Amino acid sequence: MDVLDFLSKLLYGGLGNLAAYLAAHVLLCLLPAFYIAGAMTALIPKETVTRFLGRNTPKWISYPAAALAGSVLAVCSCTIVPLFAGIYKKGAGLGPAITFLFFAPAANILALVYTGGVIGADLAFARLFLSLAFGIGIGMIMALIFRKDDAAHDKATDDMFAAKKSMRRVALVFLLVLVALLLSGTLKIGLLTDSYTTFTLPVSGMDRLQDFLYNLVPYDASKGEEGVTAQGAILIGLLVLIGLASWKGLEKIHDKFTAWTWIAMGLVGLTLLVASVGTSPHAGGLDILLTGKFFGVLLGLVVLTLLAWKGLSRDELRDWLWESWRFIKQIFPLLVVGVFTVGVIRVVIKPEWIETLAGQNNILGNLAGVIFGVFMYFPTLVEVPIAQMFLSLGMHRGPLLAYLMADPELSLQSILIVSTIIGKLKSWTYVAWVALFSTLAGLIYGAWVDGASIGLVALYLILFLAILAGVLWLVNRRNQQKAAAEKASAD
Amino acid sequence: MLTIKVLGSGCPNCKKLEALTRQAVEGLAIEAEVIKVTDYNNIMAYNIMSTPALVINEKLVSYGRIPSPAEITTFLTNALASE
Repeated sequence: MDVLDFLSKLLYGGLGNLAAYLAAHVLLCLLPAFYIAGAMTALIPKETVTRFLGRNTPKWISYPAAALAGSVLAVCSCTIVPLFAGIYKKGAGLGPAITFLFFAPAANILALVYTGGVIGADLAFARLFLSLAFGIGIGMIMALIFRKDDAAHDKATDDMFAAKKSMRRVALVFLLVLVALLLSGTLKIGLLTDSYTTFTLPVSGMDRLQDFLYNLVPYDASKGEEGVTAQGAILIGLLVLIGLASWKGLEKIHDKFTAWTWIAMGLVGLTLLVASVGTSPHAGGLDILLTGKFFGVLLGLVVLTLLAWKGLSRDELRDWLWESWRFIKQIFPLLVVGVFTVGVIRVVIKPEWIETLAGQNNILGNLAGVIFGVFMYFPTLVEVPIAQMFLSLGMHRGPLLAYLMADPELSLQSILIVSTIIGKLKSWTYVAWVALFSTLAGLIYGAWVDGASIGLVALYLILFLAILAGVLWLVNRRNQQKAAAEKASAD
Repeated sequence: MLTIKVLGSGCPNCKKLEALTRQAVEGLAIEAEVIKVTDYNNIMAYNIMSTPALVINEKLVSYGRIPSPAEITTFLTNALASE
């Protein structure tokens, strides 16, 4: 009897978490993010970025360019692996390739937006900034350690990076409007969250539906859990419809655009609009609050439709829709399973365990976060709901960031990919550095959260980077001198 | 006879390109051998930065995106003409 009770508790935990997630977080942040990722893949010619990665490009351009490439070009391993292999084998060498590899999973648009929407903008920024600094740092360290092997690449040609292609202006505007749409849906500022007009829809029973839903998915706000509102239930329904229409309209988009394609797109727009209004059901009907968000989203959608219709070519439109759909198809099911599993696990884990292990911002806590990240493997983006679970169970934000940095970098999958291309020794060295840097990132960010002044934190960070840069510079200089001496004695 | 290579690790886009290529070959009713290349060292030999890529008679015709069925048919007829 107890076992049955326990199992049903687990099941409810999973389903409740899933429903709350879909209703609350997915829509305004994740749905536009998928379309932005699709637009980046389809509309940005890879040559715009990769031409800065050739061997003849100075370091101060090639490393940031590698990070940028990771951020805008690579959302799935489909793009990461060939780009990584390309940069490494024919490009500037191991350093920028590692920077690219480090930055891509942690700071691509989907990961950042999702982190910002679910956990908070501060953590998303910390993730972006620290990944950038440390990605470049680790890349340079790796390039130095394996300097001798790297020299072999100098014989490779530079052809691949010579192509120049710039992005079409209208495609760029299209991408920017997509980003604006995302921001207007997710930013929590007064202008957007205030409501400007209210009207009442004469539908009765919405309040009863809401009570029913709260009973169905019981939640405890004090534990950071969320319930499902009536609006949320409608949105989940719309999501299912989008899925069905997309399956019919986007799966075969390479043959032709069908009515289903337009239905799917219309539903996506409708869903975003429904998600952006505020609702409050009562006995007399349903109050609809038209927020700034709503107008922002509406404006964004109108501009996007015009641009897509007039500005983009049919091929571009098709590529965009196809890439976005492919991301959704690839990532969304994993996310659903992941979120469900997190809901189940949450029932079992006792907050005290997390409290003792990683409730404080110290080396032990940060190491625990990193080690968990290294040894657990989660599919793309699932690390975010897991992080949120830890947060609500009392994990400190410092160790949380350490975990968030380490987990996507060091999945088993990525280690395997890396070792087939650069060899075992190099990949394990890389793993060790990532573990070290993630721990440091957690400590520094944690100190800031704990109230250390921003100047002090910046000082720590600059000091650390300065020592790193200094050592790199010294070693590099000595090597150059040695090489020059060898050359002189050979002559 | 054409030798067509589809380069890619087996990701969804590569499979899509392979399917579209086979369709185009059938549509033209030509003799052609479609080969999938999944090994990265072989793929990198073609100097490309991103998959999927399409190679006809050892000539790279497209990479980094899925060309439309009409484009693939054009690639094929051009290759036939130059043969």
